[in-house]
Amino acid sequence: MASLMSLRRELFSLARILSGVSHLVRFLLFFLMQITVTEEPDMLFQKVVILVKGHDRAVLDSYEFFATMAAKELGITIGKVFEPPKAIERLTLLKSIHIFKKHRVQYEMRTHYRCIELYNITGCTAQVYLEYIQRNLPEGVAMEVTKTAMEKIPDHILEPLWKEIPTDDKPSQ
Amino acid sequence: SPSYLFFCFVFLQSTLAWSSLCRFSGNRSLHVTASCCKNRAARIRVGKGDRPVTYEQAHHPHHIAHRKGWLSQHTSNLKGEDRAAERTIEDVFIRRFVFGTFHGCLANEIVIKRRGNVLSVCAVMLQKLPPQKFYFLIGYTESLLSHFYKCPVKLEIQTLQDKAVYKYL
Repeated sequence: MASLMSLRRELFSLARILSGVSHLVRFLLFFLMQITVTEEPDMLFQKVVILVKGHDRAVLDSYEFFATMAAKELGITIGKVFEPPKAIERLTLLKSIHIFKKHRVQYEMRTHYRCIELYNITGCTAQVYLEYIQRNLPEGVAMEVTKTAMEKIPDHILEPLWKEIPTDDKPSQ
Repeated sequence: SPSYLFFCFVFLQSTLAWSSLCRFSGNRSLHVTASCCKNRAARIRVGKGDRPVTYEQAHHPHHIAHRKGWLSQHTSNLKGEDRAAERTIEDVFIRRFVFGTFHGCLANEIVIKRRGNVLSVCAVMLQKLPPQKFYFLIGYTESLLSHFYKCPVKLEIQTLQDKAVYKYL
């Protein structure tokens, strides 16, 4: 029941917030056709880190703008949005196919990064948001997602062990 | 700073010259690059001015990411990604295939984009064939390449009257 209520609440909030954004509404209306209702409680994520890699910095700029706008529209709390330093892989190869060892050619491959951190997000929202983001990933851009889930502490660790076991006063023989 | 270094060098040279009876009095000789030092990759050399050249051909490879874009867009050349060689072989095959199928109709190089499973080939063609033949060749290319690579292949074609000339070299 809790999951049903949470699902309905999500849908209402989504429909309300997205009345102005047509692209998101079209995508979500299509997605809403395939809703599955389960009894198990929703997963809670403390942090979802999206790292996007690409060769072109301008493409990553526009993708970051798109992802942050989508997160704001869905009401997801955005943490840090920053740019890790680029990684350059350089190769020095022989220029000629046969001899001429002194003449070489240097190539480099630059990988630019962009990191978006989202805090305190539910499983359903994360699934919808990530699916929307990934469907609109530009070509030549790769994404890595790291999720940090929160779980209830198991009952057997809540109380310290020495409180439960009755203390034996008999000296060991 | 370079001016300070230059001044130090000149001063040092002048003292050395004075000490060694003005042997090194600043003669400069002609330095010539050997022809095997020059780069010839993907460049069209400047000629008489009658050869039309497109934007892609006019710019040298070191202008990629500054004035040029990429002709083949996939993620396997990023750091930590693999299967770059397979993508390259596929790209080479697709370029030769499309060049041969639409013989004489290509205005510029083909752009190959990979998005998920979909391979999208974007080309600019000249209007040399009637549209029915174009449509047939597009469908033929798409179905053949899809069966060959086991992934959906889409061909996005734009047509022009003539090649878009950037300058004459």
